[in-house]
Amino acid sequence: MSAPPPQLPAKVAPANAESYRLEGDLPMVDHPAVPFVEIETVRAQEFIPAAKEALSALIAEQGQSKVIRPTFNWAGRNSLFPLHWGLACCAIEFASAFSARWDSERFGIVPRSSPQQCDLMIVNGTVTWKVAHKLITLYEQMPEPKWVIAMGNCATGGGPFRTAYSVVPGVDKLVPVDVYIAGCPPRPEAMIDGILRLEDLIRERKE
Amino acid sequence: MQSEDLAKALAPVLGDRILGVEPFAKTAGRLRFRADAALDVFRAVKEDLGFHHLSMVGGIDWVSHREVFYVAWSDRLGQYLLLSTDLPADAPHIESATPVWPSANWHERETWELVDITFDHHPDLRHLLLPDGYVFHPLLRSFKLHEPEELEVKKRSV
Amino acid sequence: MWINMGPQHPMTHGLWNLRVKIDGEVILDCDPEMGYLHRGIEKISEDRHYNEVVTLMDRTCYVAGFAWEHLYILASEDALHIVPPERAEYIRVMCEEFQRIGSHLMWYAAFVQDLGLMTPFLYGMRDRDIVLDLFQSYSGARMTYEYMRVGGVRNDMPPGFSAHARRALDWLSDRFVEYDRLCLGSEIFRKRCDGLGVLKASDCVATGVTGPMLRSAGMRRDVRRDRPYSVYPQLDFEVAVADGADVTGRYLVRMEEMRQSIRIIRQILDWLDHHPGPVLADRLPRWLGAPYAPVGKEDYVLKRNYPKGVGLSSIEEPHGEAQAYVVNEGSEHPYRVKFRSPVFANISAARHYLIGYRVADIPPIMGSVDVCVGEVDR
Repeated sequence: MSAPPPQLPAKVAPANAESYRLEGDLPMVDHPAVPFVEIETVRAQEFIPAAKEALSALIAEQGQSKVIRPTFNWAGRNSLFPLHWGLACCAIEFASAFSARWDSERFGIVPRSSPQQCDLMIVNGTVTWKVAHKLITLYEQMPEPKWVIAMGNCATGGGPFRTAYSVVPGVDKLVPVDVYIAGCPPRPEAMIDGILRLEDLIRERKE
Repeated sequence: MQSEDLAKALAPVLGDRILGVEPFAKTAGRLRFRADAALDVFRAVKEDLGFHHLSMVGGIDWVSHREVFYVAWSDRLGQYLLLSTDLPADAPHIESATPVWPSANWHERETWELVDITFDHHPDLRHLLLPDGYVFHPLLRSFKLHEPEELEVKKRSV
Repeated sequence: MWINMGPQHPMTHGLWNLRVKIDGEVILDCDPEMGYLHRGIEKISEDRHYNEVVTLMDRTCYVAGFAWEHLYILASEDALHIVPPERAEYIRVMCEEFQRIGSHLMWYAAFVQDLGLMTPFLYGMRDRDIVLDLFQSYSGARMTYEYMRVGGVRNDMPPGFSAHARRALDWLSDRFVEYDRLCLGSEIFRKRCDGLGVLKASDCVATGVTGPMLRSAGMRRDVRRDRPYSVYPQLDFEVAVADGADVTGRYLVRMEEMRQSIRIIRQILDWLDHHPGPVLADRLPRWLGAPYAPVGKEDYVLKRNYPKGVGLSSIEEPHGEAQAYVVNEGSEHPYRVKFRSPVFANISAARHYLIGYRVADIPPIMGSVDVCVGEVDR
């Protein structure tokens, strides 16, 4: 005979539970609040005290800085959303890294088209002075915390176009760069390795 | 068609507006024409010989003078033709080819900003590749490239 | 109302800005804004040795590096009066045709992703990697090869390459049925592509549009056929055309071109198997082999007396008709290098195939143009 299923905690009915269960015409005017939200709130009210208790016990044991920050870092480094844009040659290898052979999405890296959804800018190609201020605008639109990877020789230091009149000799003249990936262009493996290095940096992030 | 045939075919139409036709590898020849008769030459070449497709316009800075060249393709002859003319180094300008070949539009914009050759009566002569307000013409020989100066870069603390 | 689509936009596939004037959903006018990737390749080439410019050619069009290497090398050899061995020419044409397959597969992957089809993207990239593996086996790189030289190619094929290549071709030629079933059999694809972005043959000629866009309008113009270069006269192939002049037509032309490329490569592999020989011309000028003058011997390079020359080459690049103009003034650097990019002309005609359609039609139409910004801006 199998053990009985674990008992779920009894649902606490909201105070006005009766009013919305009436059949027929719903009281549209006097309706106090959206009831389903209230039910969800009740469930959360059960969960949150337990979680708070466990968390405060952990904090009391280890100190605040050792709990909160690692939790945020753990969540952040496993869901890096790079900005979906292609500057030059490296963008093709960037796209290859999301194809079936390399499948970067298994690391939680999903390119997003809007900078407001991103926390990682991969500068995959040559940056020219004409695009420089647009790159800075995109960087400023990304919410904190944010990181920048200079992918390839052009983004790192100008690459073969270093002497050209229109090329920024390295994107670190414009925005702060966390990880540099060498190669012209870097292979998709190198790009994934660069992102894993960035994850190491995020793991040790303090402030 | 060889360059001699080309010269013979064009001589009655254009007369002294052609300065000469010389052989050029893989094309029907290089046609040198007088810059002030540019539109007549383009029209004659397009309508009489069937060079309907203009593939390229470019400029060369020879320091003493500038050269502007056009490459056209004729389906009827199955050949390319190179047209070129010399312009003075001081304020070089030539009539725009856009009335004859609309595809010259962007090529002439590019030639104007890189080699500083003005195309008169061009419908839309503004910067194409370089940012607006860029005052230099990079493909001139007087424009020198150099190593970028080293800037102090402060590493971001993570 | 004018809106900007770009430079960072999922539609652009590169760094350019399409300014569109709209009334509701209808496009009234448009103005492509280029130059965000202008790297001054023509200017840098003036400071480089002839073989060093090949490095820049791979990066000019990063999805068709071999085609641009071939283009530049053909013009330089004319300008420098150098004749390559025949085996090198066959190898170059093989590279170019393989590159055509690779470029079209990249186009296919990016284009169908714009339409919201994810499976064809994964299939296209998977099969493109098979082509890149072959490139890597003899040039050492996936995208930027630096393989061709003035006077030949850098090295011969590795042993066993022919068998590998044939196996890859067998695999690829079976895949096209799959692609057609995924795209032409898809209701979404047909509804979003049929009758869109129409550009008639007469407009194509007037605006300088070439390549698959022109051939999809029913015009049988292909530089490989009209003005054959290198060893194309010895090869047997058909020029792919379609009618309709719309997005579906361009899809059909590119698919057929890949089949024809496979046919060409099979012929070349047969030839290469039976004709061993050198791949680099002997008696090349010594300064061509040495990228830099030895220290203290700069005079040796500068004092030589080499005949002047001019070279004009024209090839059928995956995107259309590309041209190079190389001026040799007797120095070790080219005096002037000028390129004609097919995509440059194809985008400049944007007004002719965008006006009148809706904003939601822009991704499929511009996707079918196959924009490679590197070669537009150079």
